[in-house]
Amino acid sequence: MTITTLDPSSSSAAARQMPSALTVISFLLVGLWLVIAAFPFLWTVWGSFKVQADFFSKADWTNALRGTNTIAETGSAFTLRGYEGAWVQEEFWRAALNSCIVVFFTVVISLTFGTLGGYALARSGKQYAFWLLMAALVFRAMPHITLVSGYLLPFFEWNVWGILPTTIIVLVAINQPFTLWMLHSFFLNIPKDMDESAMVDGCTRFQAFRHVIIPVMWPGVITTGLFSFLLAYNDFAVTSMLLSEKNETMIPAIASFLGTTQVEGNVMFAVAAVVSATAPLFVLIMFFQRQIVSGLTAGAVKG
Amino acid sequence: MAEIQLRNVCKRWGGFVGVDDFDLRIADREFLVLLGPSGCGKTTTMRMIAGLEDPSDGEIWIGDRKVNQLEPKDRDVAMVFQSYALYPNLNVYENIRFPLKVRGVDPSTHDEKVRRASAMVELDEFLHRRPAELSGGQRQRVALARAIVREPNVFLMDEPLSNLDAKLRVSTRAQIKNLSHELKVTTIYVTHDQIEAMTLADRVVVMEKGVVQQVGSPTEIYDNPANTFVASFIGSPAMNLIEGEMAGGSFSAPRTRIEGLPAPSGKVTLGFRAEDARVVESGGQIEAPIYTLELLGDATMVTVRIGGALVSVRADKTFRAEIDDMVSIEVPPDHCHLFDGQTGQRIAA
Repeated sequence: MTITTLDPSSSSAAARQMPSALTVISFLLVGLWLVIAAFPFLWTVWGSFKVQADFFSKADWTNALRGTNTIAETGSAFTLRGYEGAWVQEEFWRAALNSCIVVFFTVVISLTFGTLGGYALARSGKQYAFWLLMAALVFRAMPHITLVSGYLLPFFEWNVWGILPTTIIVLVAINQPFTLWMLHSFFLNIPKDMDESAMVDGCTRFQAFRHVIIPVMWPGVITTGLFSFLLAYNDFAVTSMLLSEKNETMIPAIASFLGTTQVEGNVMFAVAAVVSATAPLFVLIMFFQRQIVSGLTAGAVKG
Repeated sequence: MAEIQLRNVCKRWGGFVGVDDFDLRIADREFLVLLGPSGCGKTTTMRMIAGLEDPSDGEIWIGDRKVNQLEPKDRDVAMVFQSYALYPNLNVYENIRFPLKVRGVDPSTHDEKVRRASAMVELDEFLHRRPAELSGGQRQRVALARAIVREPNVFLMDEPLSNLDAKLRVSTRAQIKNLSHELKVTTIYVTHDQIEAMTLADRVVVMEKGVVQQVGSPTEIYDNPANTFVASFIGSPAMNLIEGEMAGGSFSAPRTRIEGLPAPSGKVTLGFRAEDARVVESGGQIEAPIYTLELLGDATMVTVRIGGALVSVRADKTFRAEIDDMVSIEVPPDHCHLFDGQTGQRIAA
């Protein structure tokens, strides 16, 4: 008896000490991975406060670390010249504003259609619901550029090329199959009894959807909304082809900072703009972290 | 105050018949139980009354209104689902209040009504919990409270006890019986458990494969089953059924001969209940080796094999024997039920 009571305590004490070496190693590995994964971004952030002669130094790459030319040109090891050039001189804020408009409307429109459509498809039980989803999958698999190349000529002819609404419509079209699929599977996880109970309790179909189903669905809507956000925010193919220069969003604007064969660009403006465009994403993901995780795992665990 | 009438109601999905020609008048304040094995159409019938399913044919009347075209919310029914279907984002209080809120009942009366309903099902202490923090029995009672809070015309209960453990089922059953006595509302209750049907119902409808087999009070159904299906479904254990031949008022099957039965000759199925027969020293109408012996505490169940069928008899609790011992069973002819060998329908005595 005494042996059996002593045994687990000593073994659990050992269990607490034993993996300490293992813990150290795993922390080191995670730390190493973190550095490797974050390095390109950290390097860009660091470099965005230097001048081009340092960050893209042909003579010695360590100039980027020491900031030799930055000190020579500006008198300090860090400079805001890149940011000033991008935001003030090149009016990057216009691109940021355009991005906000495009992203906002793309997310709102695709979520509206996605929740309504996903709910209808999840509850219909008709054969064609399945085929609609299959069709959506095909459109999802299509390269984004096909939608652009096919419509470019009509857009010119109808005189709707270059403006934000056209781009928003095309981005919604690209995004919609995905939101439909994702929200459809979230709705499938909510038992039908819930709608029916609400309807017997006195709701119309739409009230049941709004008062009972959507509150349960929030994590799913947030997760899907975030993916839609990222698609619209990071899109290059559509925005670069469909927007005139003054309506450009951030990603094509960054690309144009790099210059073309005709125009000399300013690489440091691009670097500063990249950092400016990435920072909000971190804030966003951290803010919605809880909903995203519960949204991503909702399918696995019964609600 | 509502009488419910189902007039030749049918439900078909393509070629599959879910409910066939259901015709019944349910009196105001009646407690009606729809009983049958799974897939017999009992839940479909209830869902058609609730408006969650459209009948393919026939009419449904609640009170003096034909409700075929009405939305569920306009039928003034309340339903308790098997899965409870509580709203997980609302606490118990808000769950119970939900029907009042969506129906635009005067908000100043909400609190009183919710508290009265929750007191009826003894939930007062849990009003601020979320459904996830409740046990199965408590969730079940929230669903009940949500149904009674609005004082509807009709209660519909879809297997409300089947997700509870056996002990809780008995106490909740008693609670439902008491509630229905107190509320005096027309209630339709769906179950596959014949004990629930027997204990709760004013009238039972036994269904199989979408067809009504028998409608009657629990005693009628127990004492005079209309066919072999009802006989084999009602009672615990179910009625013993032996296939055999009638000739000259006497029934014969392997190891069995029962005389003095008023039935025409031909193939029949004979039925009797375990508690109506007796184990005797000798001279019974059935003589067979014991197949199995079960001690129930208050009685001993003796089972023999006749042809392909197992026949159980309730013997005294002190009765003891070994498997394969010969046993003699006396079956009083006036406790025998005779069913047609082909159709399974009862042969009128």
